Amino acid sequence: MSPAGLAWRGLVRQPARAALGVAGIAVVGALLFDMLLLSRGLVVSFRDILEGAGFDVRVTATDAPPLLGPPLRDAETLAETVRALPEVRDAVPLRSGKAEATAADGSTLPIYFFGTGSRSGHGWTAIEGSGLTPSADAGTVPVVVNRRLASRLSLTPGSKLRLRGACGSQATALPPVEMKVQGIVAFPFDSSAGLTAMTTLPGFLRVCANESPGLAELLLVASKPEAGADAAVAAIRRVAPGLHVFSNEQLLDRLQRTDFSYFRQISFVLSAITIFFAFLLVTTLLTVSVNQRLGELAVLRALGFRRWRIVSGLLCESLLLVGAGGLLALPGGALLALWLDRILRTMPDLPERLHFFVFEPRAVLLHVAIIALTALLAAAYPAVLVARLPIAATLRREVVS
Amino acid sequence: MSAPPVVEARDLTKVFPMPAGPVTALGGVSLRIDPSEYVAISGPSGCGKSTLLHLLGCVETPTSGSIALDGRQVASLSDAERSRLRLARIGFVFQRFFLLPMLTAWENVELPQSELRIPKAKRRERTRELLAYVGLESRADHRPSQLSGGEMQRVAIARALANRPSLVLADEPTGELDEATGTQIADLLDRVNADGTALVVVTHNAALAARAGRRIAMTSGRLA
Repeated sequence: MSPAGLAWRGLVRQPARAALGVAGIAVVGALLFDMLLLSRGLVVSFRDILEGAGFDVRVTATDAPPLLGPPLRDAETLAETVRALPEVRDAVPLRSGKAEATAADGSTLPIYFFGTGSRSGHGWTAIEGSGLTPSADAGTVPVVVNRRLASRLSLTPGSKLRLRGACGSQATALPPVEMKVQGIVAFPFDSSAGLTAMTTLPGFLRVCANESPGLAELLLVASKPEAGADAAVAAIRRVAPGLHVFSNEQLLDRLQRTDFSYFRQISFVLSAITIFFAFLLVTTLLTVSVNQRLGELAVLRALGFRRWRIVSGLLCESLLLVGAGGLLALPGGALLALWLDRILRTMPDLPERLHFFVFEPRAVLLHVAIIALTALLAAAYPAVLVARLPIAATLRREVVS
Repeated sequence: MSAPPVVEARDLTKVFPMPAGPVTALGGVSLRIDPSEYVAISGPSGCGKSTLLHLLGCVETPTSGSIALDGRQVASLSDAERSRLRLARIGFVFQRFFLLPMLTAWENVELPQSELRIPKAKRRERTRELLAYVGLESRADHRPSQLSGGEMQRVAIARALANRPSLVLADEPTGELDEATGTQIADLLDRVNADGTALVVVTHNAALAARAGRRIAMTSGRLA
């Protein structure tokens, strides 16, 4: 009978102990799995959102986070210059501001308001209607809105939308501008409660009464696939040396070191604690089990079973316990992750598509590796007990007891 | 010229270090067991019988003296080699049977054979033969908890014989059994010896000791 077979029979012999052990490992394993998902979840999710926007390079005036720093000056000229670079496929200036949308009953809704130099559809996903196509009526300002705003104001493609800009110093004095809804879209960074509208740069200026023409908070750049983001970043830095240019990866790297690092640190600490609990649990179970079976183990040694054979049986027992618990931990951890993710995503102003717990095959591999290592380490102390078991003295003790 | 001994112990001493000072369990014991010999060792509790048996069975190392098993000096062997020697050449029968509770009678008898990597077909044949030998073919699938004391000891004897050892060491094999069952076990041990296996039995049971070809009395760690 193999060590694994003997270990299996030993576990089956005491089903309650085995079940408790497996359940304990499943619980701490589920927490560990969740911490592994959390440790990279934000990064993976944020990367998905960034890449989903269709741009892989961003240009800002300073190293402040996008949309939060001072604007770029003469942004349309900058966009033209960047577009002319051989590494660049497209460059789109983006303006951001706030506005109030007027509902049919006359009430107003505060919304996020953007102006974009893009008409290609980059930066949103169309749900209904078209993008920001030039209107036949030159006086009409085109706009696309997100689904939530469309729903709140019962907007459909072709509807009219009245917006009053809250731009800079003229916030309260601006007249409302009537715009034509050309499409209902999903913006990558939309929050679950956010109401968003996006128009063209001229449209943005009309709503803001031509305040600060030529400015843009952000220049979004799509590199040519054959060149790649890094080459595009280098090329833009050459033509606009005073600006802050960064690729998605660089942005993610910065976020990992700053905003997201809290989650990584929390997940690291909680992972370490759960691993320690798993280690303690298995060590205790195996040590108790070994102490209960000292007579049996001494007899096996007396019969001629080598020391290593007994130790390997114990390692197998540990791996079986932890393996079964670790496997159960995966679906348990996945369900727990969904629940925790739902709770965390109720935080205000988070992009709706942002997730804290993201499944990755590497998380499963890491989980399996950590669980296996824990099983082996947890078996170390009881294994030493077994390896150093004095056969004759144990047999004597067993007979006397 | 006589056949070489199965086991030969010379001037064995075993001293156990104790908090109150060293205790000499065996002092200068020499003993030779020949093939097919049946030796009973008797004596009062604490006289060193079991210690001598453990030394002969290579589960304990002497403080001084030497043991040769089938002509090999045990002291020169590594732990793994001693394990292998026990597995292949020595059978143990314990007072408390010490069968593995999660295995059936069949599996308990098969276990030492699989450890010695005997091919499966041969293992099966030998296990069937041994269970028949001890009269327990019908209980092959029973766990120790489903067997009586006598039946468990018979399974233990079958297990001891599994790898065709040249020496079987039995430590109080009837100690946990009633008189009638003890007699059945004694009969079985007689048969084991009659079939050619050297047998050393440590016992307080005078009736069992009387069956041995040679009876050795021990007192205070020495052969009387």
